[in-house]
Amino acid sequence: MLTAAVAVLAACIVFFLERRHGRVVGRLEARLEAASRSLEGLQHAFTRFAPATVVDDIIALGVSTRSEKKDVTVLFADLKGFTPLAEQLDPEVLVRVLNGYFERMSAVIRAEQGHVAKFIGDGLLALFGAVSTNPWQARDAVRAALEMRAALVEYNAGLVAEGLPSLALGIGIHRGPVIAGVIGSRELIEYGVIGSTVNLAARVEELTRVHGVDLLVTEPVRTALDGRFRVRAMPAVPVKGVSTPVATFAIERFEDGTA
Amino acid sequence: MGAAVDLLSDEWPACIVPSGPVPRELANSVRARMGAVPGWLPRVAPCPWLVDTMVTLIGKPVAALPPDLVDRIDLVVSQDNSCRYCYGVQRAVLRIRGYTDADIERLVRDAQTGDGVPAERAAIDFARRLSRADPRPGPAEFERLLASGLERLAAIEVACAAATGNFANRVATLLALPTESLEKFVRHPLFRVIRPLMSWRMRPRLRPREPLPDPNTGFGARVVAALDGSPAAGVLRRTIDAALGSPILPARTKVLVIAVVARALGCREGERDTRTLLAREGFAAADMDQILDTLASPKLDAREARLVPFARETVRYQPATIQLRMRDVCRDLGPAETLEVAGILALANAICRLSVVLDAC
Repeated sequence: MLTAAVAVLAACIVFFLERRHGRVVGRLEARLEAASRSLEGLQHAFTRFAPATVVDDIIALGVSTRSEKKDVTVLFADLKGFTPLAEQLDPEVLVRVLNGYFERMSAVIRAEQGHVAKFIGDGLLALFGAVSTNPWQARDAVRAALEMRAALVEYNAGLVAEGLPSLALGIGIHRGPVIAGVIGSRELIEYGVIGSTVNLAARVEELTRVHGVDLLVTEPVRTALDGRFRVRAMPAVPVKGVSTPVATFAIERFEDGTA
Repeated sequence: MGAAVDLLSDEWPACIVPSGPVPRELANSVRARMGAVPGWLPRVAPCPWLVDTMVTLIGKPVAALPPDLVDRIDLVVSQDNSCRYCYGVQRAVLRIRGYTDADIERLVRDAQTGDGVPAERAAIDFARRLSRADPRPGPAEFERLLASGLERLAAIEVACAAATGNFANRVATLLALPTESLEKFVRHPLFRVIRPLMSWRMRPRLRPREPLPDPNTGFGARVVAALDGSPAAGVLRRTIDAALGSPILPARTKVLVIAVVARALGCREGERDTRTLLAREGFAAADMDQILDTLASPKLDAREARLVPFARETVRYQPATIQLRMRDVCRDLGPAETLEVAGILALANAICRLSVVLDAC
């Protein structure tokens, strides 16, 4: 009788422990699953900012040492006369105006298959053909620039209606080889590109002030455009860091009416 | 591209094509081949070649690649393409095969972290690379797949499985096919009772090796020839011929969108084949250069002028964005035309990915 009671008690204890173990395992699996979903979420989000292979490396190895030479179109945009404007505006208003501008420009760039790689003060650097291969990268960049121009007109209308000054934009676009990869320190890393192509895009943006236009492209970009893009040749001018004067082309409009 | 964020709870818009009557003969033929009438049939029925292709691909035409590995590739590719429909169906299929939810989560996790048996890991990695095609895997990647222990035909069928997964994902995503009742059924209390029977009925089987289809000419002939031995070769030949021969949209419109996808994916074979076909339609080499360089030409009709630039967007996309664009691009097309647009874009994406096997052969 006693033996039977002990056996029943032992069986109950085993059953109880098994159930408890099962619950613990279940909870752990649920946590693991949640972590897995979270990882997937991060991976999904990051593939918008870096190639999927780079994101895979970071997930699997914690780091990506992958770097490659790529043909990329670089769009550099800057607000003209923003520094004196910044001194006039209340800091909160200034940040709101700037964020509204970046929001609109980023949306336009994304819609044309580009991605914003960096905000530099009131400037932005966007890349086409960096995250994914894109045979139409130069055309996309110019279309994005034209859309940015149109989006700024709309944004300015809202600013003026609020009694705020309107913004003016300068855009330079250049296409060429870059080194792309994960760059930075342990504290701050980003997927980015380096090389003279990036520097020249920034210089071309500066030339918009010299030529009195808002959108300039270099010869490698112009050759990728079809006749629907109305282009005006600008005189070649010397540019810092480049041995020969740089010829640029102002983009006036797209024949479909985007201007 | 990219992994899915809790795909099963992601929003999926209403289907772009209406549900309509299914001719009895078609329903009977599909039932005879699949064992049931799928939920998508009343929507896809107006485009017969698309119905036939979807039914055939569900039957997994492989002769050397283990069918359970095809299932895993389907799961991973549909997750990578964020295809809510295919991911849900594939999870349900795996549940029917006897996998628990935890098993499926482990499969997904292993694919993310690169864990698992070497040959399977290599196969899944190759399939993901082919699906992303950024860039398309080359001969070195294919050699790595062979080195992992897969025989040559099985390795080629990995590419086929990834390509057909991409086909299915695009059809389902572009059309926004609604969730299948199968997904709900695997949660039903009766499922446990019926599962063994369903599993037996749906058991995956390797097919016998098949000779190349004869004739094998026209678009994609070299890609089809590279699949020699696999039943997928015949399936691909029939699908291409039926798609291009379908009277719903003009052949030239379909070939034009294939050409754009070929250019976007860097598929020289596809671009060459489409140029040959379009030359017969009166497109000179300079016309094709203009279309492929600028995605526009005065030679395009109004429908082509919308479809040509859209085609490139189907190579890599976010589902919500591409579904909105598809709805816009097909706004004045009838159901049959819309189905054929989705089908041909899906086929173009599959073939231009699959053409990597040419480098390997």
